[in-house]
Amino acid sequence: MKNRYLVIVNVALLGALLFMDTGCRTKAGGWRWPWQKDRSAELGAGSLTDPTMLENVDVAKITDEFGGIVGGARFEDTLQAVQGINLSPVYFAFDSYALPPSEVSKIELVAQHLRQNTSHVLVVEGHCDERGSNEYNLSLGENRALSVRSYLVNLGIAADRIQTRSYGEEKPAVAGSGEEVWRLNRRGEFALFQR
Amino acid sequence: MQRTVFPFLTLVCALAGFFPGVQMRAAGAPPVISVVKKGAEKNTVSLAGLNASGPNGQLFVRILTRNLEISGWFKVAPSGAVRVQGTVSDAGAGVQSACRVTWPGKAFNWNKVSMGGAEVRNQARQLADEMVRLIAGETGIAQSRIVFVNRRGKDNADLYVCYADGQDLMQITHDKVAAVGPRWAPNGRDIYYTSFLNGYPAVFRMVAGTERKALAAFKGLNTGAAVSPDGSTVALILSYEGNPELYVMTLANGRLARLTRTPHGSEASPCWSPDGRSIVYVSDIARSPQLYLVDVVSKKSRRLTYKGSENVNPDWHKNGQIVYATRRGGQYQIARMDPRVGESSCEIVSPAGEYEHPSWAPDGRHVVCSSRSTLYILDTLGDPAVRLLNIPGNWMSPDWSDR
Repeated sequence: MKNRYLVIVNVALLGALLFMDTGCRTKAGGWRWPWQKDRSAELGAGSLTDPTMLENVDVAKITDEFGGIVGGARFEDTLQAVQGINLSPVYFAFDSYALPPSEVSKIELVAQHLRQNTSHVLVVEGHCDERGSNEYNLSLGENRALSVRSYLVNLGIAADRIQTRSYGEEKPAVAGSGEEVWRLNRRGEFALFQR
Repeated sequence: MQRTVFPFLTLVCALAGFFPGVQMRAAGAPPVISVVKKGAEKNTVSLAGLNASGPNGQLFVRILTRNLEISGWFKVAPSGAVRVQGTVSDAGAGVQSACRVTWPGKAFNWNKVSMGGAEVRNQARQLADEMVRLIAGETGIAQSRIVFVNRRGKDNADLYVCYADGQDLMQITHDKVAAVGPRWAPNGRDIYYTSFLNGYPAVFRMVAGTERKALAAFKGLNTGAAVSPDGSTVALILSYEGNPELYVMTLANGRLARLTRTPHGSEASPCWSPDGRSIVYVSDIARSPQLYLVDVVSKKSRRLTYKGSENVNPDWHKNGQIVYATRRGGQYQIARMDPRVGESSCEIVSPAGEYEHPSWAPDGRHVVCSSRSTLYILDTLGDPAVRLLNIPGNWMSPDWSDR
């Protein structure tokens, strides 16, 4: 009964739409009739009311300013994670991505592992404490991961075996606040993948 | 049956574009709101002559009242120079309104039928915006929306959207992974943000909440997406060439151009100027994170802020003002400045306390921001801060739509 009422109202509204919206000029300069509306215009604000419709679509082809394709090929997308190997995290000072001398020996152990396991590749994960802007912390965490990566490359590990990912402040090792919690969260972690 | 009805319902939504309150949206002319009134003086408005006996009618009055007060232009009182009179009677799940809004020298009629609860609230917002339009010259903020992050725990977050009155709160992602920095596109419909959906930070575009596309998922960091005012280009923070740098991507062909070269800097939070010629962004190239301005064509950057130990999260309004979070005395506060004048024009607009991550309302007067897991609407003309949601939780990183 309710549905029938809606159909009647909708048909009436469709009629009204056809009279009111007598076509429009598209951005590209072509003419578009009301029933040729592009999908985005139809979706409008109302479609946000049904989040279950969220549908994932493919990545566009991306090129740099010289026309070269920017490749993805992330270890996370294509390789299996290596389980059961614990590499100690390295810790950083506040708002800094410089490697403290105390942490260097941990990175040397990672280099040793990579030399001994030539089929393993590495993702260095950069993290920050909860203070400051989430967006800035993502960038800072990436620089932390990159510091560790540079050190490994200087130790002779092939650069294409090491990728980075920043979690910023989004994945703390320890919940809560305070100097000790923050110190443990400003870190670089290691995730191994099998190539 | 339901299936055949649905597409027509979307047309009903499209029809809403023909109602006066949202007509500007359809015309494509961005409403530029100049605040002509100094101080937070109010017009008193009386709803005493509005006969709304049913529950839906009362909902209409409640939403109208809240939005009139949030607009900053009205104070609802038992009697006032502005009067809303007539009836809002319940009709099925909705209301039928027959009202007349009068004040000295001006008047308009408001006659509408709405079918469901969401539509009742939307029509109350349209009426509030119409009343603001008669006073301020431009439509109000009642129909604009705010997107933000709800963080439940480590690496567990999702995006939510609500209206300026805090109602119609809706979860728009269901991923339970870290999500950072959602931003509306200028069309007020698409949302760009950073998600760890695939285990690493990638930039996604959500079209009207129905279709999601990974826009940048390169090696390293992909974040910071901000769409240019003309909708053609998106600013990004990417590190695929080495370390985090500011880029712009042309959406039509996916072409990237790099705007910064800072091998030892962390860039973040780009935001376009109203004319689309420059971008304000955060960089720690001089150790602490500060605001910089880059010319998109010449790619020349200059430093904008020096006061405060950190200046982050800039948001640039059409009226030329930049609002941002500044860290002074160990606390984040919200500051506003005119970049044409420089940092000497900076003034603090937040009350005492810790406030972060500001975003302008379309009226260029209100600002939404976060304060210790809670979202607030600030009034730069001095009204008290209003809490956006009365729901416990870790709410953060709000962005207010441009229209």
